[in-house]
Amino acid sequence: MKTISKIAGLLMITLFSFGTLSAQGGYKIGDEATDFKLKNVDNKMVSMADFKDAKGFIVIFTCNHCPYSKAYEDRKIALSKKYAPLGYPVIAINPNDPAAEPMDSFELMQVRAKEKNFPYPYLFDDGQKIYPQYGATRTPHVFVLKKENNKHIVKYIGAIDDNYKNANDVSNKYVEAAVDALLVGKEVEVKTTVAVGCSIKVKK
Amino acid sequence: MSIRNIFLITAAIGFLFLTNGCKSESKSEIKVVNFEQLEPVFTKNDDVLYVVNFWATWCGPCVKELPHFMEVYEEFKSNKKFKMILVSLDDSDNLETAVKSFIVRMNLKGELYLLDDIKKMNEWIPAVNKDWSGSIPATLVIKNGQTLSFDSRDLSKDELIERIAKHL
Repeated sequence: MKTISKIAGLLMITLFSFGTLSAQGGYKIGDEATDFKLKNVDNKMVSMADFKDAKGFIVIFTCNHCPYSKAYEDRKIALSKKYAPLGYPVIAINPNDPAAEPMDSFELMQVRAKEKNFPYPYLFDDGQKIYPQYGATRTPHVFVLKKENNKHIVKYIGAIDDNYKNANDVSNKYVEAAVDALLVGKEVEVKTTVAVGCSIKVKK
Repeated sequence: MSIRNIFLITAAIGFLFLTNGCKSESKSEIKVVNFEQLEPVFTKNDDVLYVVNFWATWCGPCVKELPHFMEVYEEFKSNKKFKMILVSLDDSDNLETAVKSFIVRMNLKGELYLLDDIKKMNEWIPAVNKDWSGSIPATLVIKNGQTLSFDSRDLSKDELIERIAKHL
């Protein structure tokens, strides 16, 4: 009897947590983001906790295959070069299951990182455990986090800027504006944006 | 044969070519629009059930589900209260090189648009649906300005029929 009630209890908890997970749909502004321990293209494991001096992070869910991710490749590199020295390193995470999108395999991530000489870690969300917690739905999908009392607080969710196609015709650099505000202790003005992107690939 | 007759015959042949040309083109005609031009679909009060699908040639799951959409289109197209609208989010620079040939190859029918309004994504994505993050494929069923279903993922044929049939 005891076991049955235990099982029933566990079942309830499981159902409940699934329910809240789908209802919440990931982080909102002000939520605490989880740290992760994911494999980088250099085969070393990377966590946010490794960046002792960081003031925050620009976490970008991105991948190899998506044309939008590709269009933003040079801008991601530029973001990293500009903001890593200021305390906001870029961390790129590939959330796709290579079984669903072979171009996003770990091996091909390594190839792309080498070709483009990524100055930032390019991590593989092996088992797809991290992206659902963040609530990433597409690539590229950016989460700007600020370290407050050793917690990683979500300050911006959305697109890098407002023109994927032409970097020279951008009117709003959302991520830069967000990090610039955080760097001078101001509130981020535009906290969330949406943009067209590739759905995150999950094997059925 | 007088010169006048030759002229008339040439003109007639030319006219036939022209009209035929138009007809075959209208089969897979795609219009490049901005969101303002597309918006009436989301607000029209005309009792028509609109299936609106956002896709792109480079989007794997979109390409996979489009044949289902065409099968469903064939099933319902005779119903005057049904319309299917396929909105490509491809780069308009690829219209001639990739999109048009894709439409022919996949034999896409219905109303075809390429939404070329990239700098206003932050306005039109929430206007299409407040729960949409912009990930594609995305499909809406709309009637009289009411969104009856919104799916930010690929749909099977049965899933699509289920969403249409109960409102038609």
